Amino acid sequence: MMPEETKNTNSRRFAKEILKGLVIANPVFVLVLGLCPTLAVTVSIDNALGMSAGVIFVLLGSNLIISMIRKITPQLARIPVYIVVIATFVTILSLVFEAYLPPLHESLGIYLPLIVVNCIILGRAEAFASKNTILLSIADAIGIGVGFALSMIIVSFFREILGTGKLTVFGKTLFSIPVLSSDPLAFFIMPPGAFLVLGLLLALFRWLGVLNNE
Amino acid sequence: MNENRQIHDKKIKKSSSCSEKIFGNRFYPLIFLTIIVFVSVSLVMVVNNMTRVKILAEKDAAIISQLKAIFTDTDDYEPKKDYYIAYRDKQVIGFAFVAKGKGYGGEINIFVGLNTDFTIEQIKILSNTETPGLGTKITEDSFTGQFKGLSFKDVSLSKDGGKIDAITGATISSKAVTDAVRKELEEKIEVIKSDMK
Repeated sequence: MMPEETKNTNSRRFAKEILKGLVIANPVFVLVLGLCPTLAVTVSIDNALGMSAGVIFVLLGSNLIISMIRKITPQLARIPVYIVVIATFVTILSLVFEAYLPPLHESLGIYLPLIVVNCIILGRAEAFASKNTILLSIADAIGIGVGFALSMIIVSFFREILGTGKLTVFGKTLFSIPVLSSDPLAFFIMPPGAFLVLGLLLALFRWLGVLNNE
Repeated sequence: MNENRQIHDKKIKKSSSCSEKIFGNRFYPLIFLTIIVFVSVSLVMVVNNMTRVKILAEKDAAIISQLKAIFTDTDDYEPKKDYYIAYRDKQVIGFAFVAKGKGYGGEINIFVGLNTDFTIEQIKILSNTETPGLGTKITEDSFTGQFKGLSFKDVSLSKDGGKIDAITGATISSKAVTDAVRKELEEKIEVIKSDMK
């Protein structure tokens, strides 16, 4: 009787942690964290997907390891320990991208190694993984990671369509808007366009009241 | 001050009493971090070993596709120590090498194709981290096209007495490319000449 009950609540908490990252604690639109890559690499859906895959991988790895060693990590040296763990995953990711996806590695450029100092990842390590069980930390990583990916896709969707007039995913053009594609609003591909799109999206999400129950 | 001190002492006492001896040791954080770094470095070394060959092959493939883009009628190439020779029907039709310049936002890699008379056939910007919309104009044909047919004496900005017009608003990027190409060209001509003897 008893173990079944705990298992039930465990799986419910697991699902809750995943859902939390998607909406209630969406890293970009609610926590407003990790804006550097959100602004910089969202020029195309491809870039957004590549970056999100990278962040999810690093977040899963670091949350897992940091949760595993949480009981033996000395309080004094915890931040250096977290940074070393995160940097290890980022370096591995960077090497793998360079070997197997060189065009993506090229277009993500400096923002790939900069995942090390992404505040989403260190934030989850410090605020969640260092205090929770391995299973919940994985759920947290999935939730926050997918939440980040969704935000990246939404921002890059608007920037790519407005800035180039078409939508290209993995080299395949899904659709193009007749007038816009011949004379695109290149402003949206540039950094100021990123601020404008993100700002408007933040305002929209507030207005929709999706975030009222935070 | 005094109060803080007491709280501090209390904390230390508490942690040493409730955890094992090792965790209370003052060198424990140091040792723990050392172990973490050791594991991390070993892991990265393993992955580096696994991916190194593939990364070098990818870089080589990128260079070769550039070579084919510049010398469209080439049918064979030979990688030398730090440059490439392009052949057609076993005849040398040109050379190519990579020049590295220090731009406004970081390193600029430039691929330079040379004719057999050591004039420039074409240059291509392989990678750059210049300011989008300004410095990135160095990749456009209106800038790189100016290099075609020049010998190394003429490769400098027009205000320095050369034949390259700098991009408005991106003088540093333009100068970085021009200077890198000239410097590398001068060196490579010597190397190629001594190799051909």
